[in-house]
Amino acid sequence: MGVGPSTKETTLHHFHDPLVQVFGSDPDINLQGVIVVGTPEDNTLKHLVGKRTAKWLEGMSTQGAVIAADGWGNSDVDFMNTMSAIGDEGISIIGLKFIGKQATFVVSNEYTKYVLDINKSVQGIETTVVGENSLDLHDANKALGLLKLKMRADGNG
Amino acid sequence: MVNDILKIKAFNVQTVSFGDEYKFNAGHLIIPQQANLKLPSYYDSIKIRIIRPHHHNVQVNSIMDIVPISTKVLGEIGTGLTHTLTGVVLIITGADITGKQLHDFGSSAGILQDQLQLGTPGTPGPDDYIISFDVMLGEKYEYSRKLFTDIFKYADDYLQPIRKIMKMIDGREASETHEYHNYPNQGKGKPNVAIVKQVSGQGAMYDNLLFPTEPSGMRGGESIIDMDNFPVLLTPNEYRDGAIHAMV
Repeated sequence: MGVGPSTKETTLHHFHDPLVQVFGSDPDINLQGVIVVGTPEDNTLKHLVGKRTAKWLEGMSTQGAVIAADGWGNSDVDFMNTMSAIGDEGISIIGLKFIGKQATFVVSNEYTKYVLDINKSVQGIETTVVGENSLDLHDANKALGLLKLKMRADGNG
Repeated sequence: MVNDILKIKAFNVQTVSFGDEYKFNAGHLIIPQQANLKLPSYYDSIKIRIIRPHHHNVQVNSIMDIVPISTKVLGEIGTGLTHTLTGVVLIITGADITGKQLHDFGSSAGILQDQLQLGTPGTPGPDDYIISFDVMLGEKYEYSRKLFTDIFKYADDYLQPIRKIMKMIDGREASETHEYHNYPNQGKGKPNVAIVKQVSGQGAMYDNLLFPTEPSGMRGGESIIDMDNFPVLLTPNEYRDGAIHAMV
């Protein structure tokens, strides 16, 4: 498991990034920036980079955040670590990731229900078709809507 | 703030064809068919092809990346002025001479129209030209981070002469102009929101490069692996200006 053709984010994808497009043009929020975080192999480091991300957001007085990943499998551990670390700081957090039928969470916690599935294939699998299961504008708009609801429910803004 | 505004001017490409040297004139892009790169002995060849819009019934090796062609005209990534081409993208594909495909997890080799969903944020539109940069390796090579970083750099080197020409295009010829403010809602009492992007950072074909000198380029960039995968903050405009080159 890792980054398959249908979920991979190409350089063109980053240039047109739907989350930056949607969150960066919404009049109701102040987009502070984009934190890019990697996926270390070492388990201690996996926790550390997630925690550093959360501490950084706390320092920026971030009230809500969205996290998205370019692959699935082992990196789901990092994803849930970081999501929990951000949530534990009292920041409203929602996620976006390929799930389908192939990449459901092995372990669930209080945050997994706020992860939206970006799968678009009928079979719910890695189809090896480039672009098919990647995050699009529709996903980004859904995420913004969900985050606004979550922030309101959490009393964050 | 001084560096708060990013301007991106887009120039539409109507045709792409082969010629002796790089040229761009009134929407017509001319590129050489030979990559003219000094390749190590374990490479067999690099083949450049032009795939015309709606002519996608062609065999391709596994797609490693799709790259927009942009260049800095004024300022650094995230500020100033950028020129970009619309109507054309570069696709990097690769295999070795035994037919083994170059990819991380699942190969997209096959007939292009079956392996590429057009019109998504990360793929060309149905009316776009595709410049195919196809790397063929020999038999004796090491599947390593360096191998793939080199491949992405070769593709970047092939694009650089186009960027050099684009820097000189008269901005009045642009088909679109976009102006982005970094923080249009700062200080207006709106809730603070951030995006977190988790990216691959564990090795060959599972890597990302940040802060290249040219938008969506390779030279001058730092790999997220070499940053120990630690979080890095990008301004919205840095992200919009191609501060990340995927190597997945």
